[in-house]
Amino acid sequence: MKEKLKTILFTVAVTAVFTILVSGVNAVLADRITANKLVARQFVVLDLFGLASETVILTDAQIPGFFSEKIVVDPAFKDSGIESYRLKNSTGGLIVCSFSGQGFWDNINGFIALDLADRKIKGIEFTMHGETPGLGGRISEPEFKARFIDKPFEPVRSDGLRLKLVSEGTAKKTDEVDGITGATGTSSAIEKIVNYSINRILNISEGRAAQ
Amino acid sequence: MSPATGPVKGTAALKRMLWDENPVIGQILGICSALAVTNLVKNTLVMCLGLIFTLIMSCFTVSLMRNVIPRQVRMIIQVLIIAAYVIVIKIVLDAYLPDISNELGPYVGLIITNCIVMGRTEGYAMANRPMDAILDGLGAGIGYSLVLLPIAMIREPLGLGSFFGIQVLPSDWTRWNMMVIAPSGFFCLATFIWITRSIKNSGGKK
Repeated sequence: MKEKLKTILFTVAVTAVFTILVSGVNAVLADRITANKLVARQFVVLDLFGLASETVILTDAQIPGFFSEKIVVDPAFKDSGIESYRLKNSTGGLIVCSFSGQGFWDNINGFIALDLADRKIKGIEFTMHGETPGLGGRISEPEFKARFIDKPFEPVRSDGLRLKLVSEGTAKKTDEVDGITGATGTSSAIEKIVNYSINRILNISEGRAAQ
Repeated sequence: MSPATGPVKGTAALKRMLWDENPVIGQILGICSALAVTNLVKNTLVMCLGLIFTLIMSCFTVSLMRNVIPRQVRMIIQVLIIAAYVIVIKIVLDAYLPDISNELGPYVGLIITNCIVMGRTEGYAMANRPMDAILDGLGAGIGYSLVLLPIAMIREPLGLGSFFGIQVLPSDWTRWNMMVIAPSGFFCLATFIWITRSIKNSGGKK
């Protein structure tokens, strides 16, 4: 009986010691981890506004200050679940919004930049995805993201889509974007997410009925 | 898994892990991570460093406590110790190397379930002095890296045309998509084990 009690007490004591070790390390670094995540998101937004070149001289710690100096939250998107930003003191139509949707494996999250005056996509960035590395995972390559730049999201196509992802290398018209060979599932998921997100963003910021 | 030919001490404990008793090619342990992370050299390197750190720390700690750990709960205690160190690695990576941490995703956490770590703590550290346990753990970690890094160095250039993230093959290189996904890890690892075992056997060992 005494042996059993000793065993239990030993286990509890070891558990306590290592829990304290892990919690201690976590407590020391938690602020840094939160800051890293914030900086990573803010950097994506700044990049989509074309301000990445100005951030080169900044350290990670200076990014949040620079961000609040240049960027303002769009009040129209309050309570929508979408993070939305505009350039401070700017009359242009450039808006950067977060999006989220189901990919082939996991959720795909990111930010998209739309020019509401020119009716064009100005950039897209994925902050999280679980697509197959080398196949669907290629969505995070600069070359793929560049395929969306300056694509017009209006007028709406006859099939109801704003942009269609077609087989790689076959995009001819301005409302077509090259998909990824070997990743049909990812390509069609991106098509759905992008079209849905643009509809939703326009709906909120311009008060129009969703398609 | 250890041979019953008396206790192995000191640097011999380290050396045998590199070739004779290499945990991956000799004991076929740690296969899951060998398949999962070897499509990029950088990720593989971080994974190997993470495993080496976990092995050294876990083996050292278990060895220090070996005389006081009650036999009935020794495995629970070992897993607890391993898990604690792995979580520490994950937190440190999140804080200082967030990009690599994102890319490795769940694999760092999965070091906990890497059979090599528990194999060394249970098979060696529980019965040997801390210094020997550290060398044994270090040897097993290096032995693991000696298998994973060559595989990554084959898979990344063939699959993505790059090495350590830098493009090394000409841009008109046709990427072997197969090399990027997990099944190619099986082929590469199996070929690697086949070659190394052939060399071992030709050396007169059984």
